[in-house]
Amino acid sequence: MLQSSEQARVALPSDVALHARPAGLFVREAALFTADVNVAANGKQANAKSILEVLGLGATGGTELVISASGEDAAAAVRDLTALVVALVE
Amino acid sequence: MRGETANGYVGIILVSHSEALASGLMDLARQVAGPDVEIIAAAGGPDGSLGTDGARVLDALRRGARGSGAVVLMDLGSSVLSVKAALGQLEDEELHRLQVADAPFVEGTVAAAVTASTGATAAEVARAAEEARGVAKL
Repeated sequence: MLQSSEQARVALPSDVALHARPAGLFVREAALFTADVNVAANGKQANAKSILEVLGLGATGGTELVISASGEDAAAAVRDLTALVVALVE
Repeated sequence: MRGETANGYVGIILVSHSEALASGLMDLARQVAGPDVEIIAAAGGPDGSLGTDGARVLDALRRGARGSGAVVLMDLGSSVLSVKAALGQLEDEELHRLQVADAPFVEGTVAAAVTASTGATAAEVARAAEEARGVAKL
């Protein structure tokens, strides 16, 4: 399979911040993929597989995230992480 | 090597001067990392005061040094000394299963627990904890 790069924009649900538990779910999902995955918000960029970097984004409810990935399973990573963000509950 | 133990995940051992500190950190790490990773603590002095208890630290390290092993995180000063002393009393086979992380206690523990919950090896978990030193908060 070819290396690929994917990117998607998705907003956090209005009442869910990317803090403790939701951030943990996000990072653990990202870790399932071999692709390099990044998430950007509020003008900051984080390695989606690093809990401390993701927490450091300070993304509050409703914030738009830009999820980007590169590598073999980049498309699946972006798709699954986008779906996870949409479905997050507090 | 993954999935060697009963639950297959590398464990976390917290060594702290304070039971309250270790217990609060355990709660936080569990909330972020989920329920799969076993976290144990050796915290407080022998009489429940602030301090460290060498026997309790040794016991925690022995409990962690099974299966897939564990990563040890320490708060300050004599916690580090008591871990070093306890390591000196372990068998080689136990030592192979433990990694001591030179990391900030809170950030390192959260990073370690999340990394352990992905099925990472003890070396990978310790590395994640140590990388916490370089992650900016602001």
